[in-house]
Amino acid sequence: MTLLEFFKVPIFQRALIGAIIAGGTISLLGIVIVVFNMTTLRFALMHFGLLGGAIGLSLGANPLTAAITAIAIGSLLFGPLSDKFKLDTGIIGGFFMTGSIAVAFLLFYKAGVPALDVFSLFTGSILTLTNSDIVFVAVLGLIILTTYFTFFREIQLIFYDAEQAEWLGVPAQKIRNGLLFLTGLAIGVAMKIVGALLIDALILLSAMAAMRIAKNFKQLLVITSLLGMLTTTGGLLLSMVMDLPTGATITLTGVTFLLISIMIPTK
Amino acid sequence: MENAIELRDLTMGYGNHTILRNLYLNIKVGEFVSIFGENGAGKTTLFKGILQLLPIMKGNIKIFNVDVTKSNEKTWLRSQIGYVPQRHNQGNFPITVFEATLLGRWGSSFSYFKKPSAEDKEVAKDILQLVDLSHLSHQDCRRLSGGQIQRLNIARALARHPRILLLDEPNTHLDIESQQKLDNILHSIRKEYHLSILMISHDQLHTRRVSDRVVHLRNGTFQKDLELVI
Repeated sequence: MTLLEFFKVPIFQRALIGAIIAGGTISLLGIVIVVFNMTTLRFALMHFGLLGGAIGLSLGANPLTAAITAIAIGSLLFGPLSDKFKLDTGIIGGFFMTGSIAVAFLLFYKAGVPALDVFSLFTGSILTLTNSDIVFVAVLGLIILTTYFTFFREIQLIFYDAEQAEWLGVPAQKIRNGLLFLTGLAIGVAMKIVGALLIDALILLSAMAAMRIAKNFKQLLVITSLLGMLTTTGGLLLSMVMDLPTGATITLTGVTFLLISIMIPTK
Repeated sequence: MENAIELRDLTMGYGNHTILRNLYLNIKVGEFVSIFGENGAGKTTLFKGILQLLPIMKGNIKIFNVDVTKSNEKTWLRSQIGYVPQRHNQGNFPITVFEATLLGRWGSSFSYFKKPSAEDKEVAKDILQLVDLSHLSHQDCRRLSGGQIQRLNIARALARHPRILLLDEPNTHLDIESQQKLDNILHSIRKEYHLSILMISHDQLHTRRVSDRVVHLRNGTFQKDLELVI
C-alpha cells in the first residue's frame, strides 16, 4: 500500500486527525511537567492509569475508560494532597506509584486477566482510535488551548515565579491544580495512542526539546506544539511507510527531535 | 513624621510554635532599615507577616497607619509594597528580562482579560534603565548572572511603583562587584521613588553599609543593645 492509499482508509484518517490534535495540544502540558519538575508525578499518574485499566479489565469494562477515570481522580488528588500535607508531589507520587501498581498486579492475578489484554494497556495504538476517542481528544485539545490563551500571563507568572505570583494575587494553586488535572486527562489519552510505557513521547519530549530552543513563553508554546505535531504525524506516517509499530516509531521520532535540540548550541 | 511600617507587640509563629515575640519597630517614611540576624532568627517570618502571607498571633502591623492585620485590603497592600523574594537562581523557564519585569505589574493595571498597555510597557522600560538592565531587555532570564537576576527581581518589585520595598537577603551569593552595583542601585532607586526600605540580611557589614539603621533580631526578639544608628 502506498501512502496515498493509506489516506483513503478510515482507520488511518482517524489516526491522522488524532495525531495532529493530540500532538499539537497535549504536548503543551509537557511544559507543566518540566517546569514544575513533576516527572515522578506523571510516572505515578501513569501507574494509577494502569490500576484503573486493571480494574476495568477485572470487571469486564472498557479498560481505557477506566484508566482515564483513575488518572483523572489521581490528578485531582495529588495537587491538594501535596498542599495539605506539605509533601513534595514526588513523595505523594512515589507512594501512589508503588501502591497502585501492586494492587493492579494483584487484580490481574485474582481476576485471571489474559496477558495479551494486560500487554495492550502497555502498548496502546493510535490506529484503534474510535470516533468518540477523536471527539474526546478534540475537546481536551480545545480546553488546553483555551486555558493557555485565557490565562497566558497568569500561567507565565506561575511558571516563572510561583511565590511572586501568589503575592501578586494570582490564584496560583488553583491554576496549578487545574493544569495538573488536564495533564492527568492527557496521560490517559496518551495511553491510548502510544501506550502506558511510551507516554513521554507524546507529552514530555516536545516540551523538553522546545525548552532548549525557545527564548520566551510564546515561542515555547509554538515550538512545543509544532514539534508535538511533527512527532505524532511524522511517526505515524513513517510507521505506515516502513511497516513499523506506530507507538515505538512515534516515540523514536520524538527522541530524534530531542537529540537535535540538544545538538543546537544555545546562545 | 509618618511611619511607613509600625510593629506593635508583634508575635508570630507556625501552629503552636512561636517564632517572633513582642516585636516593636517604627520605620519612618523614606527610611532604610535593615534587620540583621542569623539563619532561623525569624527574619523571613516577619516578612510573611508584613505581606499578610502568614497570620499573626498577637499585636498588630500598620502600613501607613492602616492596620493590615485587621483589614482585608490585600489589593491596597500589594499596591504599597514591592517584595523582592530570596531568589538567586535563573530558573528553567524561558522568559525575557522585559517580560519578567512587565509581569511585576500584574494585578495593578492588567490581569486576566486585560492586556498590558503601552504605559505598562513604558514603565517596565524605564525601570530596566534604572537598574541598568535595559541592554538585556530581550535576553532570556536563564542566561543572566546572579547579580543581574537580583537587579531584575528589584525591577519587578518596583514595576508597581510601591512606596515600600521589602528586600529578602538581596546580596547573598553575589561577588563583591555585583554587591557594589546592587548597593548603588538601591541608593538611586531610594532617591528616585522616595522609598522606605526594609531589608533582612545575615550580612552585618552589608546592612551597616547601606542602611540608616540596623536592628538585630535574635531568637525571635530585637536586641535593643545592639541597635546601630549609622
